[in-house]
Amino acid sequence: MNETVDAIGVCIEKGKVNKSSSYPIDLQGQDGADELTLQALTQNIAPDEILKTCNDAMQRIGDKFGRNEVFVPELLMAAKAMNTVMVHLKPFFQAGSIKTKGKFIIGTVSGDLHDIGKNLVSMVVEGNGWEVIDLGVDVKTAKFLKAISDNPNSFVGLSALLTTTMANMASTVKEIKMEYPKTTVIVGGAPLSEESAKIMGADGYAADPQSAVLFLNRKIA
Amino acid sequence: MTPKERVKAAMNLEKTDKIPLMCQFSIGHMLMQVDVPPVELWFDKDAFTNSLIELRDIYDFDGILISLHGHDPNWKNDVVSSNKIKEIIEVELVNGDKIIFPKNDLPYYDYYFVKEKFSISEMDFSDLPKALDYIPVSNNLHFKINQNFKFDAITDLISSVGSKYSIHGEITSPFDYFLDLFGYQDGLMALMMEPEKCEYVLSHFTKLITKLSLEMCETGVDAIKISSPFAGSGFISPHDYKKFVLPFESEIAKSVRQKGVHIYTHTCGAIGDRLESLFDSGISGIECLDPPPLGNVLLENAKERIGKRGFIKGNIDSVNTLLNGSEDDIIKDVQNRIKIGSKDGGFILSTACSIAPEVKREKIQLLRKIVDNKI
Repeated sequence: MNETVDAIGVCIEKGKVNKSSSYPIDLQGQDGADELTLQALTQNIAPDEILKTCNDAMQRIGDKFGRNEVFVPELLMAAKAMNTVMVHLKPFFQAGSIKTKGKFIIGTVSGDLHDIGKNLVSMVVEGNGWEVIDLGVDVKTAKFLKAISDNPNSFVGLSALLTTTMANMASTVKEIKMEYPKTTVIVGGAPLSEESAKIMGADGYAADPQSAVLFLNRKIA
Repeated sequence: MTPKERVKAAMNLEKTDKIPLMCQFSIGHMLMQVDVPPVELWFDKDAFTNSLIELRDIYDFDGILISLHGHDPNWKNDVVSSNKIKEIIEVELVNGDKIIFPKNDLPYYDYYFVKEKFSISEMDFSDLPKALDYIPVSNNLHFKINQNFKFDAITDLISSVGSKYSIHGEITSPFDYFLDLFGYQDGLMALMMEPEKCEYVLSHFTKLITKLSLEMCETGVDAIKISSPFAGSGFISPHDYKKFVLPFESEIAKSVRQKGVHIYTHTCGAIGDRLESLFDSGISGIECLDPPPLGNVLLENAKERIGKRGFIKGNIDSVNTLLNGSEDDIIKDVQNRIKIGSKDGGFILSTACSIAPEVKREKIQLLRKIVDNKI
């Protein structure tokens, strides 16, 4: 593989956004994901090769997150670096030379104003080649239903941070499944578990962003 | 033992006649159990404190946690209009803010002037708050602390029921104020990019919170809770906990303990990798201790590891056990916790997180019956 592409992967895994970024210390003063992506494109490296490197890097950091070797700040930095790459790849998505894998509607459920988990999942899923429709926080069920209606065949992700809003999540899942039984719904968030996801009728549970990506990718495989 | 003595003994790691029982309420649960309009429960000191007393009576708890303080007695002067639309109440304030009050949850603010979050790279430290005049209750939700009536809710409760029941005040961790100031996402990334600046901001808030805590001690509270929900491994590493949370909470804890008042930390989720570190701050105990799946330490293991370093207040799963569980599930779960918790003292039975809004009253009332061996 090309050296520049490899370096992009390292930058994503380590959360090195651009040259001026002070994080991480061991890459201070070096080019980051931003500069390296531009260099790679100038070298006529195929955009989907760069995207694959991004996905692999996110997979590695996601796995580390799953093993408690890195935590939310490190994952956020990696996602930020990846988003920088995506800015440069966006024209290729728009031109159709890279195809999106599908549409993913995501929102934090009604009564919950927290967005960090949702944003993390959005960033990682988007970086993995999905079109993300982010409905924001405190999303009422009706808003999810409208988004599904406007975007047929989309996948849906529900997020909650508060233990107290799990009940709202369950009723949203129920209503989505009643109205659109074929729509795949995945849930995630601190108070949830595989078991609680099953009880509320969701198709899947993601303990972390990478699990969400793997779940979605399996669904379209 | 009076309920107050019982809680005190548990916090002192002494023997109690029975396990003390004291859960903390979510605003949603309060709204669903007391006949008080949501606007009044949020703004009005008397409505809030009377509701706390009423709920304590209903559930026969040994103490009361006062999560909000600093109510403005003239709050009605700020209200321009109040309209009920289906099950919500929409209130407009003189400053243009609109607030939506659901019947079973925290209010939602639609601010007229949306303050941009601070940016760590561009911030001017002189812009940091000079006084602590708000409680960061939740994302985008502040409760204003009126500086002239800072502790009236606490002193009122102490004078009415404080001789019999344990009264606890609440402060918020510097780490929460920090994340609230920058936004959760940018705040967490700032820890990586600008650690020295983050430490400065945390130190600034620590001074303000320590001052507030020491003033709170003067009211006669039996204990102070530090709300620190983002200090667990669901968010930050043990290393970052030691760098960005522990030194600052330690400063507060040590000041409060010097006043002879107990202080305990509430950290949500998984804390197994930092359980001992939590006690390095000098706190008297911990609240919450979420059981799995949210947490990753079992009560038995936590008691062994903590030993005589402090008390545990928890660890009933408010949703999986109380909300979704049957009566039999609750009895079995709670009896088991009492059996483990009562060994060597230092245990206060409560929900880990606050009582979830939709939990039925009868289920909470079961707790007292279980504690008193009436089941």
